[in-house]
Amino acid sequence: MTTFDAPDALDAATKKALIDLLYRMADDEIVLGHRDSEWTGHAPIIEEDIAFSSMAQDEMGHALAYYNLLTELGEPDADTMAFGRSASDYRCASLVCLPKGDWAFSLVRQYLFDAAEGVRLAALAASTFTPLANIARKLAGEEKYHLMHGRTWIARIGAATDESRRRMQTAVDEAYPHALGLFEPTSADEILAQSGICPREADLRAQWESSVAPVLADAELKVPEGVTPQYGGRTGVHPAALADLLESMQLVYNIDPSAKW
Amino acid sequence: MTDTQWPVYEVFHQQARGEAHVHVGSIHATDPEMALVLAKEQYARRQACVNLWVVPVEAITATEYEDSDIFERGTDKSYRETWGYKTPKTVRARDKEATGE
Repeated sequence: MTTFDAPDALDAATKKALIDLLYRMADDEIVLGHRDSEWTGHAPIIEEDIAFSSMAQDEMGHALAYYNLLTELGEPDADTMAFGRSASDYRCASLVCLPKGDWAFSLVRQYLFDAAEGVRLAALAASTFTPLANIARKLAGEEKYHLMHGRTWIARIGAATDESRRRMQTAVDEAYPHALGLFEPTSADEILAQSGICPREADLRAQWESSVAPVLADAELKVPEGVTPQYGGRTGVHPAALADLLESMQLVYNIDPSAKW
Repeated sequence: MTDTQWPVYEVFHQQARGEAHVHVGSIHATDPEMALVLAKEQYARRQACVNLWVVPVEAITATEYEDSDIFERGTDKSYRETWGYKTPKTVRARDKEATGE
């Protein structure tokens, strides 16, 4: 299959589809990174406080990598994209928008997201758009750690006590439909798949489902059945929580867009 | 008051393959696997790392500080010190490169 070593090699329609994909990926990362950072100073133990905060920084770093690639594709600079857009311009899935909830919810959300990112990055490592394949390979190690972290925690508290089991199952039930929203089909799917840039969302979803099922089962957690995926995020329809998050995240920028720190 | 903290694990960090693992600190964790997951972010997020060890603190047997006089030299043992040998320049350069000093 033809590879595209630089943005110039793409035709207009393919480029548009790629831009759409990168906004979805970058916005997922920055919003989840922000949500995770809300645990800084509040995680169950100090060691985990540091680990989870560090993972929040990782997600921000991933967002920046995708935003920078978007800039190369002709979009504005990263700060303008992150701080200068309103909720309806964002393309993140509802999963990352939801408030942090209890520790069980944030843990389960993070794991379900990381499993999705892991599947996507593994596929993108073979993307025909070389700059994206390079980023995917570079982020693989961090993603591997995130998955180790998630699996370790979930295996331990999933079935630890009656309360932990109840809270974890509640978190899975709540997060799962939103996690399916990470794979919301979009009008870019077909062209991205045909050009070998990124597999269809439905294919990624199937891989994700088979990767998370055994991890949840080992922790004695049930995968909810007959769930309706929570779609809308990829077309800019979000839970109200996103606008609240952006208001906080963009506060300084809105006071003075030229502020430096 | 009973200690409600998780067990303590000592953490050893290796900067490059073949080098010694160096003790860098300790953490609380439920078990060895969790200790590795947590140790990674506490002790390997800034400096280069290729390998971590975690060791339950109870596994360590130590001397008593009150016995630290056993390490003192009663008589002149300077003959044990390795000064005076000539190290070839190439070996010194390699050592310097390996330790980064």
